[in-house]
Amino acid sequence: MKRIALFLLPLALFLFISLFLLQGLFSDPRERESSLLNRPVPAFSLPDVMDETRIYTPEVFEGEVTLLNVWGTWCVTCAIELPFLTELKEQGVRIVGLYYEQNLDPDFGGKSIGQIRADIRQKLDQLGNPYAFNIFDHSRDTSLDLGVTGAPETFLIDSQGRIRLHHVGDLNPRVWESRFAPLYQELTQ
Amino acid sequence: MKGWWLFVTLLLTAGPGLAEEIYAFETDAQRQIFKELTEELRCPKCQNQNIADSDALVAQDLKRKVHELMQQGYDKQQVIDYMKQRYGDFVYYQPPLSPATVWLWLGPLLFILLAAAVLVWRRRSAGNQLDPELLARADKWLEKDK
Repeated sequence: MKRIALFLLPLALFLFISLFLLQGLFSDPRERESSLLNRPVPAFSLPDVMDETRIYTPEVFEGEVTLLNVWGTWCVTCAIELPFLTELKEQGVRIVGLYYEQNLDPDFGGKSIGQIRADIRQKLDQLGNPYAFNIFDHSRDTSLDLGVTGAPETFLIDSQGRIRLHHVGDLNPRVWESRFAPLYQELTQ
Repeated sequence: MKGWWLFVTLLLTAGPGLAEEIYAFETDAQRQIFKELTEELRCPKCQNQNIADSDALVAQDLKRKVHELMQQGYDKQQVIDYMKQRYGDFVYYQPPLSPATVWLWLGPLLFILLAAAVLVWRRRSAGNQLDPELLARADKWLEKDK
């Protein structure tokens, strides 16, 4: 009896630890539930990146299910997801950009607005333009209010302007199928 | 080869170039709270660095925001709540007590109790297992020494 216990106990412990570590291999440490889930998009009043006289507020999300895509021309992964986002747009998905520029920051050398616009035009001409328009989060305050940690990140916003999904990282066909598509279908029905 | 050396030199000098931003405070107490906050708030991008340590853009934004909020008169707890509201419990190094996190405190306690129980149990069973014959022999030797 005691022999068996001496054999089984370490075995059980070993299996328990192995399973615990194994599931760690397949978990994404960046994956966290957004604390803004099911809450309305925080208040903002920001200009269009191409035209500072056009001002947007959270009202732009009312009445239509929208993907809010956080991006910048400086961001390599954002360029990789542009063609797929353009495909989604052609399928009828409304995509709005939340643009931020790290090069506006004096810490990063600074970049004029004219230069930024030229860069955006060039990038979108080259890789496709999925955006209905781009909101310019020049001070990155709205990104902070949204809990954005970097770019790219994508929010799914319902027609009442509430955040339903927050995805950190690039939006590719696999992520779209597994995370976005089911909820998107449900919301647009 | 020359290009490679240039690359290495650039790498080595890139760090000091991104020197920390300087934040001004009116009192030393405020500076102290800022120091505490930036050490206790976790960078959401870089997982295991606090925002004081990290050069990630989001860490700089959070530092700037902490400074801004403190200038507006927020106290320490209010700043922490402001950040938690946006980045979740993850952003603060001290986890809240919840059914999922309670094991962080209960786990070590249970381990100590279990270890103590095992020790007591082993000592007791070891005491019972003393061979009476051996004891008799030991007694005999003790007799001899007298």
